[in-house]
Amino acid sequence: MDPLEKGPTVDETSDNHLMEEVRDGKVERLAVLFERHQIMLYNFFLCLTGNKSSSEDLVQDVFFRILKYRKTYQGQSKFTVWMYQIARNAHVDHLRKQKQEVPLEGQFEEAQNPDIDVVERMVAEVDVKLLRKALDKLPLKKREILVLSRFQEMKYKDIAELLGCSISPIKTSVHRAVKDLARIYGELQGGTP
Amino acid sequence: MNCEKTREKFADYLVGDVDEKSLAEVQTHLAACPACRGELESLSAIWTKLGVLPREQPSSALRQRFYAMLEAYKEGMEKERTRASFGQAVSRWVKRFMPRRPVYQFALSIILLASGLGGGYWMSSNRPAVKREITALKQEVNDMHGLVAVTFLQKASPSDRLMGVNWSSRIAEPDEKILQTLLDTLNHDLNVNVRLAAVDALYLFYNYPQVREGLVNSLAQQTSPHVQLALIDLLVEIRERRAVEALEELMQNKKLHSRVRQRAEMGLAQLS
Repeated sequence: MDPLEKGPTVDETSDNHLMEEVRDGKVERLAVLFERHQIMLYNFFLCLTGNKSSSEDLVQDVFFRILKYRKTYQGQSKFTVWMYQIARNAHVDHLRKQKQEVPLEGQFEEAQNPDIDVVERMVAEVDVKLLRKALDKLPLKKREILVLSRFQEMKYKDIAELLGCSISPIKTSVHRAVKDLARIYGELQGGTP
Repeated sequence: MNCEKTREKFADYLVGDVDEKSLAEVQTHLAACPACRGELESLSAIWTKLGVLPREQPSSALRQRFYAMLEAYKEGMEKERTRASFGQAVSRWVKRFMPRRPVYQFALSIILLASGLGGGYWMSSNRPAVKREITALKQEVNDMHGLVAVTFLQKASPSDRLMGVNWSSRIAEPDEKILQTLLDTLNHDLNVNVRLAAVDALYLFYNYPQVREGLVNSLAQQTSPHVQLALIDLLVEIRERRAVEALEELMQNKKLHSRVRQRAEMGLAQLS
């Protein structure tokens, strides 16, 4: 490969670059990062807590912590890895405060899709509900890894960096989590008329 | 490739991160092994289902709260920057006029000292203007403390909210918003320590009618004996007569902690 092609170009809209600007004092650039990641973060917390208002509080808390600790941002690892580290800490503090988990069920709004007919929609809704119920039954650690890899589309190597371990236990955990989820989902399906 | 090796590849297989060689090997094994094939099919099915799970949307309040926080933070930074750059300008200016030789430096300091004393004497005749400036500066610091306090008080973590209460106690003349936020914290915060800190902070502002009324009304809303005791002490200390009725009402609660009941009785005796 031609080495010139891989010149040190800086993508000014990349997460890392934006966060470096926030670190250096352009705090208004955090708004771009907020718009980019708020929904993902919200869904991450929603899967962990099952509570809408706590999830919103937690997202707000994450961005508050980003401002508070902005000067500690090194830019060596991916911004999302750093952000999810903060998010996990915020969640741990939240758990300490709550000490009990609220079930996911009933916390979500029904998905509305006008393109499919009523019967299909009902079937889809039952499916979504069952899947969320199954997800809720997974232990927190497995749920977290699954949410990061599937919903947040994080690479295994980034999850490994986030959790401070090597890649191979992450892959094993993902495999086991999906396997457990499939089993729980199957059981729940068997339990419904 | 055996079953174990094949299954090790499943996590990569799900995210589509398998090189051609491994893919060929996995597929060869799958063709011959119904158990592995069955497992991969079940994993892929649930993996696909997860992918189409609709994403939830947060309420618009989240965005509003974020931008309010960002604004408050920027304002705080701006004020700090103004102060810092003023300080740097002064020190640069002083450096330019500072003589090199120590003898002259000494002479200059004597002159400055003398002119300082003289200036001070002269300024005493112009006091109102100086006072006005100082008042404006105080107001500015006051406003900043208020801004920081309210921002912290709305945070999710109790330690941040405690910091908010701490900041609010530095405000010399709080406005209505800050007082109301403190009262709301006292009445609704989930954390006992934060509520207790709010009682202490409100003690500093007991001269405000809004605070006195809020404290009296809060008594009926508190469930923690610690906060109840702190509130009773405060109301007795500031000799708030309207608390008599609230204390009598509190004592009608049969589940009231015995120590709280005792203190409420004492308080009634002191206030009546």
